[in-house]
Parts: sequence; structure tokens; C-alpha cells
Amino acid sequence: MLMPPFVLHNPTTVEEACSIAGSLMEKGEDFDWVAGGTDLLPNYKWHLNPKPHVISLARIEGVNTLSLHEIGCMARLADLTVENGIHPLIVEAASKVASSLIRRNATLGGNLCLDTRCFWYNQGEDWRRSIDWCHKADCGTGADCRVIPNQNTLCVATYQGDIAPTLMVLDADVHLIGPSGLRTMPLQEFYQLDGMKKNVLEKGEFLLKITISEASAARTGSYQKLRVRDTWDFPEAGVAASWISGDATSLKIATTALESIPRCHPDEVAAVLETDWDGMNSVKALAAAVRKSVKPVNNTSLPPRYRKSMVRVLTKRAVEKMLE
Amino acid sequence: MSGGYRQQPGGSGQTTRKDGKRVAGKQSFPPPGSGGSRPHMSPRDLDFIPESVGGKEEQPAGSHIHDRARTGTTVGKEIPLVDSNAKVTGQAWYGDDVRLPNEIIGKILRSPHHYARIKSIDTSRVEALPGVLAVATGEDSPHRFGVLPVTKDEHAMAVEKVRHVGDLVACVAAVDEATALEALNLFDIEWEVLEPVFDPKKGLEDSDEPIHWRGKYHLSKTNVQKRVFQEFGDRSLVDKPHAESHGKWSMAGVHHGFTEPHAVVAHWGPNGRLQLYTPQQVPHYTHRALSTVLDVPMHQINVIRTFVGGGFGGKSDPFPHEMCAAILARKAGRPVRITFDREEVYWINRGRHPSHIEVKMTADEEARISGFDIDALIDGGGFASFGHVTSYYNGVLATAPYELGSFHYTGARVWTNKPASGAMRGHGAVNTRCAVEVGLDEMAETMQVDPIDLRLANLLPPHSRTISGFRITSNGMREALEKVREGSNWDEKFRQLPLGKGIGIGCGFFISGSGLPIHWDPNRFPHATVHIQVDMDGGVTVHTGAADIGQGSTTAVAQVVSEVLALPIEMVHVRSHESDTSPVDLGSYSSRVTFMNANAAIRAALEIREQLLNAAWDILGYHPDNLVLNDRRIYYKHDPAIGVSYLKALHKAQEDKGSLIASGAYRSPPMGGVHKGAAAGLAPAYSFSAYVAEVDVDVETGMIRCTDVWAAHDCGKALNPMAVKGQIIGSCHMGLGQVLSEKMVYGRTGHLQNANLLDYKIPSVHEMPHVEPIIIESCDPEGPFGAKEAGEGPLLPILPAVVNAVYDAIGIRLRDLPLTPDVVFKGIEKTLKDSKIDDPLDLPSPRLTHSSLQPTLVARAQEHKLRDKARQRTEDTSPYVNGVLFGFDPTIPLEDQVEGWRTATEPDPEQLAELGLAGRAWLKKEQREMGGEN
Ligand SMILES: Cc1cc2nc3c(=O)[nH]c(=O)nc-3n(C[C@H](O)[C@H](O)[C@H](O)COP(=O)(O)OP(=O)(O)OC[C@H]3O[C@@H](n4cnc5c(N)ncnc54)[C@H](O)[C@@H]3O)c2cc1C
Ligand code: SF4
Repeated sequence: MLMPPFVLHNPTTVEEACSIAGSLMEKGEDFDWVAGGTDLLPNYKWHLNPKPHVISLARIEGVNTLSLHEIGCMARLADLTVENGIHPLIVEAASKVASSLIRRNATLGGNLCLDTRCFWYNQGEDWRRSIDWCHKADCGTGADCRVIPNQNTLCVATYQGDIAPTLMVLDADVHLIGPSGLRTMPLQEFYQLDGMKKNVLEKGEFLLKITISEASAARTGSYQKLRVRDTWDFPEAGVAASWISGDATSLKIATTALESIPRCHPDEVAAVLETDWDGMNSVKALAAAVRKSVKPVNNTSLPPRYRKSMVRVLTKRAVEKMLE
Repeated sequence: MSGGYRQQPGGSGQTTRKDGKRVAGKQSFPPPGSGGSRPHMSPRDLDFIPESVGGKEEQPAGSHIHDRARTGTTVGKEIPLVDSNAKVTGQAWYGDDVRLPNEIIGKILRSPHHYARIKSIDTSRVEALPGVLAVATGEDSPHRFGVLPVTKDEHAMAVEKVRHVGDLVACVAAVDEATALEALNLFDIEWEVLEPVFDPKKGLEDSDEPIHWRGKYHLSKTNVQKRVFQEFGDRSLVDKPHAESHGKWSMAGVHHGFTEPHAVVAHWGPNGRLQLYTPQQVPHYTHRALSTVLDVPMHQINVIRTFVGGGFGGKSDPFPHEMCAAILARKAGRPVRITFDREEVYWINRGRHPSHIEVKMTADEEARISGFDIDALIDGGGFASFGHVTSYYNGVLATAPYELGSFHYTGARVWTNKPASGAMRGHGAVNTRCAVEVGLDEMAETMQVDPIDLRLANLLPPHSRTISGFRITSNGMREALEKVREGSNWDEKFRQLPLGKGIGIGCGFFISGSGLPIHWDPNRFPHATVHIQVDMDGGVTVHTGAADIGQGSTTAVAQVVSEVLALPIEMVHVRSHESDTSPVDLGSYSSRVTFMNANAAIRAALEIREQLLNAAWDILGYHPDNLVLNDRRIYYKHDPAIGVSYLKALHKAQEDKGSLIASGAYRSPPMGGVHKGAAAGLAPAYSFSAYVAEVDVDVETGMIRCTDVWAAHDCGKALNPMAVKGQIIGSCHMGLGQVLSEKMVYGRTGHLQNANLLDYKIPSVHEMPHVEPIIIESCDPEGPFGAKEAGEGPLLPILPAVVNAVYDAIGIRLRDLPLTPDVVFKGIEKTLKDSKIDDPLDLPSPRLTHSSLQPTLVARAQEHKLRDKARQRTEDTSPYVNGVLFGFDPTIPLEDQVEGWRTATEPDPEQLAELGLAGRAWLKKEQREMGGEN
């Protein structure tokens, strides 16, 4: 497998990164950010939408901060899997990402901005030629989506990152920076429903860090991941829950690996909380409601019907812990 | 220092003075060899010398003809494989490590269509690209090849038609990879897309355009490549069964998943000879195929087997890319290297066949197995490969280890527009074995008996004949079952564990070498030949063609030679890479190598030994019968002080002829029946195994975790217990993959959806259970020092053991492999619905109350145990054929005793209507019956 050639830029400051991005944009040259490269480089090797320029965030000073309240984009997942004063829920999720080897390179920023995945797309070039390409990597053919055909506007590739749902239930904020400045928003608003657009990042912008408020940091939680093998495998479904000890009404739930974006489930939680909290019965009702609300499609290893059924079990197992 | 006898030559002080100066007029010759790294002889290691020749090694299964060749040097000892240093230090040279000066890179253009006719290929734009040095298409390679001489249906590149996505269309060689890749986009091809077939069931039907055409042997216009019918025994026994089991299985195709992708380098030397470097299990087959395809005599080709980064059957066909590299190199006049991407590895495939298997079995009121009725439809993909054999193996390898009243098998292999299936570890035996062993579990359940006792009371004894006519020699099946029962604490666990926890049993039976050497008559040429050469330095060079694919065949050969000659293993050097210097060996498949090659090596080594002993006789004056060969020294039996070093004896032996040379060969004895297909499954010895697996099943998610395995395997004699244990554990891993998570997924469009190692789910270290390897030594009379195979058979039992354990855990029989969580969950959901249970945690666990048959079985097993012991130790040498259990006389042909005893290889017309799915192939007529043409 031969990587397509690209020019690698190695800025050492945030400003330099933004200015490189700015000047490439001015010249009309396309580029990607790269952090640990564990997602981008395999995709490049498969010739999945490679760009002529790649800007690495790896040498930028000060973007790998690690604390209970702030984690920089270049924080390595390997450092998030040990007790580094980080929230235990994040540690739990990070420990379940890929394998220990991959986690040494993988970063939080890359994990949150992970490309969406689909078995019609994550394939070599010869393979994709044999299906006559697809909408997301159409190689100039204007091909349709192979999962939901006759609609070549939307890509329903699945977001299979593990950490996003845990940050969502901890109400984390993301800080984005680009040539036009810094902006901050709740992580819940960061993702955008389309397997190609993925998130709100504008060209030239990158994710600088995430922050977690004092109050949220006091939450407890659980992350449940569905996968065939206990290492390597991307989540086939993931459910995160958090709560403030002793207060069922504080419950928050988010799911991942079921749709093009990870997302919170405030409505389902609210509906169950409308009636009095009834321990295990409420947990089961909630699990059923969350299951009903997700719509996985057939583009990952396990069949969507099964993944959907498992959301009930995962939700139950995540929230059950609140009753302990 | 051990204070033994010094074995180093030199130091005699004849030619040098104390002050180091040379004695006038005398040339100082340094000693020609050191004779090993230790200067003194070690004492004989009696623990590793058999009782029968005065040592302390116990021989519960009796003595062996090779006992007299034992010296206690290496056999039976745990020694690291001789090539392990090369591997752990990164010095082993695999296919892609070969770099020749001036080499260029070849790439293959692959079919984007499942099935299509090539109307034209225009290569002019490719040729015009700067940096392209050679282009080739199907026109450059009109000759067919294939691993089996009876089914040559492959070309180097597509001639006329492509048969699956990824099939080879053309190839190009360029100065670098980027140019070669760019060139692939410049072929202009006009296609006529044809209607593909994916479902093997459809392959049984007539089609407008069969994937291959077999001329007058073609079955109507179907895609059936091979059909088999076999019926033995008394079919009337199945009429009124006391118990029965009936299961329909669907088993996904699996791939070997070896680490090293295929890679090849071809180079035409200055004299016009081809050197081809390739990681091959069967270099000799490649050698033959190259000769045919390239139109070059075999002696003008040197096939160099590189280190092989795993094969498991996936590198045991001559491959089209090997031909492509040779064709491109010839055209370009420069060495050409082709290395596969993982995706290409899946496209060339040769993995285990996706299969639909139906097994019916019956037992009579004494719990004797009155019949096996097996139907196997196997999906061959686009080419024949080993499929002819696989079609037989799916049936015939189920005719042991149990004594059967009757046996009925219909099998068919069909071509479909998918990557070709082929041979994979446990070739042809694995899927049916799983179905049969699960069927036995189910019959035990209905008869309310313990499944281990059911097996123990129905085993064929050592030195017997199966219903299909296979000659069984040593047989450690009973001991294997007893050992795993004891080790796993079976009697305290089976049908007694809580919901979600289960324990299961499975057995295996496999060939130890195929009786037929495919390319020649075993009466004309031996199966294997080994040459040994010993020169002045004392080092022993062994030339063998046996392909070490990681299984340790080189070590096995080095070990047996070191054992016979009583030399440290580092004095034995095995040369096995080049066809120019290696005697012909068929290759590493059908678990033949240790059995055949080590036997040949022992023969050659014995010849060298004789020459050494005769020389020692000359020197010492004692007859070889009174001499002992031990660690680089030959001495008088009753006084080790009277002796001669190995080197001295060697130099004496060399006086007349220079270096010592010997050649040994192995040939299998005549055996087997005479019916059509009788040679399939015939082997000089068979291995037996029994595993118990314990699993945890998460009833809410359907996730299965195998936690513990007790794995007993009868390998005859463990030449190197460490290597045997490695094979057992590795086999467990591979089999677990097939039963739990590995499958080649063909999506709704017929494409292979998971041609990569992330989505093709090989179990990781986290999924590995604790495996307790248990070696059973039944001492095979014809095996080298009693050894049989240990590389493939150990894979078989893990599948049924796990499936049976899952039943024990959740009470649900699942017959779709692999048992991925969604499959298990679906089974659980269905059971919940059928039995109106809401919560899976309320599922009932299966329990067992013994019926009155149980004590009958236990008593019979006890009786048989004594019978087997006597037969194993040759105290009882009376004939035993399958059928004795049913009251027949082994000395009279069964046909003469039982009316209706069948040995049929074609169905009777009245049977046609009742045949199973694959059996339907027998409804079709051969073209020649229809007056069809070639
Ligand atoms: C075999 C394998 C198994 C895996 N299993 C899992 C798994 O189980 N769970 C899981 O979550 N992931 C998994 N991954 C995916 C990946 O390794 C991780 O998600 C990782 O955290 C990605 O981080 P990275 O720094 O390597 O990302 P990169 O590859 O560097 O980047 C990923 C994407 O994000 C963009 N990006 C990176 N940083 C930023 C930033 N700061 N701002 C904006 N965009 C940015 C890049 O342009 C790229 O598109 C797996 C990968 C492999 C190869
Ligand atoms: S969801 Fe559709 S468009 Fe997106 S990657 Fe898959 S096939 Fe392509």
C-alpha cells in the first residue's frame, strides 16, 4: 500500500498553524489536519480523499494539557487511560479505544474529529472501484450512497469514536480555533448530521481543547461499549451515562457508534423522569426508550438490528450503576 | 567441567612445540572440526532412551522399531525451533525481504466485475507510460495450471473471462511502485458483464454460462465442479432408531489469516534459468506449474522457498501471481517483485469453504451408532484448487474414530463467482466434524447418557479398519477422552453449571500424511527423500525439500538426524530452500511432513551411522553390535574408556571416499479399498484428539467467552513436546476464530465486505482462553520414533467443544457458524419467544438425569478399554474391522455376512429422490451421457 504523496507542515504554535491554514486556503489548496495519524494515515493509504497538504498539530507547544477541567487536543489517549487527575469516566472510555499500541499515538482531538466509517467506504481503491465508488469518496463519478441508495446527498457513515459520549454527559465544551479566531460551544452542538461534514469545523479551524466545569466534574458515570473483540475493535454501539450521586434527576445519557454523530438523549431521560423514579423499572423503561430512539444502518460489522437491541442492554448496564 | 571423555580433536602436541613455534619440516594443520561447542562427552541421557533398549523412558504403548536408533540426544526434549533465532532477531528472510539488484516492481490489474467476458484489452497507453518496463495479459499465458493434475482450471491472468472481483486481468512492471500503480489505470478494457452466481445452492442449477466448462465431464450445464457419493455398511440398521439427531448447518468461509502477505521475486539469470523466490508450502507444485505455464523445462527453474510467514494451507497452491512475476521478469529482462496488499490476500483466498452441511445420525437401543448420513454442499468460489479432495474429505474423514453401522455421504462442490476456496488447516474435515460431534451430543441428550461415555463405548480400537476401509494403526482416542474428562473435572460440571456457564466435549480425527502422492504412483516414487552429507568438519548437512512454514519441519528433521547420530543439534544444518539442491518433496500439506520426511531422514541417518560404526569397528576392533553411539563418541558397550571420538571415526570412514553421503526415502505401505475415491482420506497413520471447552455466555448480549480448554491430542510420540504444545494452542486459537468470530462476509452485492484484518475478526490475545495442552503418545508403529501429525488435527475438536459448551450454558443449539453475538442473540430471542419467557436471565439451564443406558455404556467402555490396551501393545493381533461391535465376524468379508452390506460410490436410481441438498448434483447427467462434446 503506497501512501499518496503530500506536503507535511509542522507548525510549532497555534498562530503558525492558523496562518499556514489561511495561506493554503488563499491559494485554494486543500489540506487535512493530522494529530496522532491513527485514523488519517490508514485512510490515506487506502486513498480515501487524500489531500495535497497535511498540517500536523504534533509539534505545537501547549496543546496537550491534561487536567480534570481541561484536556488539550494533542493529549495522547495513552495518558488518558491512567489516573492523571482526569475524570474517571474519560479514563474508562479512553481505555476501551483501539489497542494499547494505537493509544500511544492517538489523541483526544483526533478521536473527537474521527472520520465516520462505513464498510462500503473503508476499503482499498480496487475494492471501491468494484462497487463503482460511493458518494463519500466518489472519485469524480458522482456515485450514490450504497447504504441508502437513490439519494446522493447524504452520507450515513457511522461515527465510531468512544470518548465523545462520555464528554457529552459531562457537559464538556469544545474550543475551536482558526484563522477567524476562537469559538467555544458545548460538545453536544459540535457534531453535524452528515457522514461527510461530520462536525461544525470550518475549513482552517481545528479543535484546540475541551473543558469541563467544576459542577460536571463532580459527576459519576459509566461507559458501555459493544465490540466483538476486547482490543482493536471500534465500538458497534456505545452508551455513556452520568449522574450526580443520589440524584436520579441529574441523569444524562449519550450514545455513539449508532449514527453519523454521537448524541445526547435528553428527551428520553426527561420522559422517564416525568413519572416518579422507580429504580430498576425506570432504568428498564429508559433503556427501552433510548433503544427506540437510535437508527443504526447496515455499514459496520454487526447487523443494525442487533446493535439497536443492544442499546437497551448497554443503557441498562450503564444506568444500573446509579442504583448501586 | 563434566570430566567426560574429551571429544575435541587436536591438542596432540605433534606439530607444535610448547613455545608455539612450528616443528621443523612439519606443516601445522589446524584441527578440521570442533565436534560441537562442548569439549567433553555428556553422559547418556537415560531418561530419553526407551525401556526396550535399556533406558528409563517408559513405553506404555509398547516398543517401536526405531527404539534402537534412539541415543537420548534430542527426541522427546523441549528444544527451541532451530530457526527461532533467525525469527526473533529479524534475520529470517520472508518473501518481501528478498531484494535483488536492479529489481523492478510488478502490480496486478484486478477484475472490478464478479463475472465478465473480456472483449478486448488495449495496453497501448500503459506501454507508453514512462517507467513501465513490461506489460502482460492472459494472451501471454495460454497454459492452464492448478494444484491438482485432475483439475487444472487456472491461468496466470484471465483468458477470456474473469471469475470474481479481484481475479487477475493483467500485470505491469515498472521502475517503482507509484509508476506501476499509475499504469494500472491506463488499461483500456471492453467488458461484457455476465450474470454472476453467489449462492452455492444456485450453483447446482443449470446456468447459461457455467463458470468453467469441463467438456464431456461437465454435469449438465451446472456449476458443479465435483460430486461425491459414498455409502458403506448396512443401511437397514438405521430404520428403527432408538435415538437420532438431525442438524442443518450453515458455516461461513474462513481465511487462514497468516501474517505474511504473498510476495514473489522472479529473476531470469544470465544463463536463461529462472530463479523464483516465494513463500510457498508447496514449492514443488509451483515448480511444475511454472514449467507448464512458461514452457520451460523444470531443470531450468530454481524455486527458492523463502521463510514462510504462516501458511496454514493458504500458500499451498501454485499461484497466478508467481507466474505473472516470471512472465514480467522475462519480458523486462530484470528481476520483478510483486507483494500483495492484504485485500489481495483475501482475493486469492483458498480458505475454508463456506458450507451447507446436513447431518443425520441414529443410534440403536444399545446406543451403538447405526448410521451417519452426511450431506455437504461446499462453495468453491471461482477455481478448483484442492476442491476435488475437499469434496471427499467432508465425508470420509467422519468415518472414524467411531464404529458405525452404516455411512452415507453425498457431497458437491460448486463454482461461484467468489475468491476460490481451498485447503485450510484441518482440510475438509473441520466443518463436518463439528456437525457430527454436536450431533453426538444431541443423541446423548435424548438417550440421557453422558456424551463422553457415549463416545468411549463406540470407539474403534487400535489396529482396525474403518467402514470406509482406512487402516487405523495407533489410536490414542480413548486416552485423550479420559484425560480431558479428568483434567476438566467434567463429572462435576457437565449439566450442573449455572445459566450462562457451560462445558462441552468434541473429538477429532485427522490424516497424518496423504497416502497418495498426487503427482505419481506411490509404488513408483517414494513420498519423500532426504539426503545427508557429512564432511571432514563433522558438521552434518541435511538436504530436504520439506517446506518449513513455521510448523517446525526443519527442526523435526534436524532433531531426528541429531538423535540417530548422537550429535548436538547445532552440528546439523538443514538446507531446504532451493529446488536446485533439495530432493523433491511434495510440500507441507495434509500433515505429511514429520511423518514422511522425518522417516526418510531417519533412514538416511541410519546409513551414515552404519558407516561410522564400521569405521569405529576398524579402529577399536569391536563389532558395531557392541558399540554405543553417544554424544560425539563411539565406545565399547561395557567400558566407555575404550572408544573413539566421532571425528576420528568419521575421518576413518572418509579415508576411501571423502565425505559421507546417504539418501533415505519414505514410501507408504499399500493399503485401502478399491472403490472409487478409496484413496481420499487414506493415510499411513491418523491422529486423534479430544477437547473439553468451558464458556461463559452473556445471555443478554449473546457474547461468548471461551475461558478454558483442556486439549488432548494423540501425536504418536512428541518428538519435541514444546512444538506439539505450540501446535495445540495455535490450533485452538485458529479454531476458536472460526467458531466465534471469523467469517468472510459476502454482502448483498456479492462483494467480500471485510477483506482486511480489522473487519475479519481473528481472536486477539484477550479472547484466548487458558489452554491446557495434553500430549497423548500412542506410539505409531510406522511413524518416525512413533510420531504422527500434530499440526492440523488439534484444530478440529475446538469447534464442537465450544458449540456443545454453549448448549450446556444456555440450552440452545446453534448451527450457524461463527457464533457471533448477533447469531447467539437471535437464538436466545427465538427461544424466549417460543417458551414465553421475558427475561433471558430466566432461561432454564439444561440438566441431565441418567437413563438405564448409562451403566450399559460405562460397562461397555470398560470392556473396550481392556480390548484396546491389548491391541495397542500387540498382545492381541487379531483382525478388527468396523462392524465387530454389531456382531460381525472380522475374518469374513462383510459383504458375505450381511445381505445388503454396501460399498457404493454412485446412488441407486431409487435413492435419487431422497438425496440431500448436495446430493441433488446426482440428478444431473454428465455431458457425455447426453452426447455432449468437449
Ligand atoms: C485498528 C484501529 C482500531 C481503532 N479502534 C478505535 C476504537 O475502538 N475507538 C475509537 O474511538 N477509535 C478507534 N480508532 C480510531 C483512532 O485510532 C482513534 O479514534 C484516535 O483517537 C484518533 O486520534 P489521532 O490523533 O490518531 O487522529 P488522526 O488520525 O490524527 O486524525 C483523525 C481525524 O481527525 C482530524 N483531526 C485530528 N485532530 C484534530 C483537531 N485537533 N482538530 C480538528 N481535526 C482534527 C484529522 O484531520 C482526521 O480527519 C481505531 C483505529 C485503528 C487504526
Ligand atoms: S454511508 Fe453511503 S455515502 Fe457514506 S460512506 Fe457509506 S456508502 Fe458511502
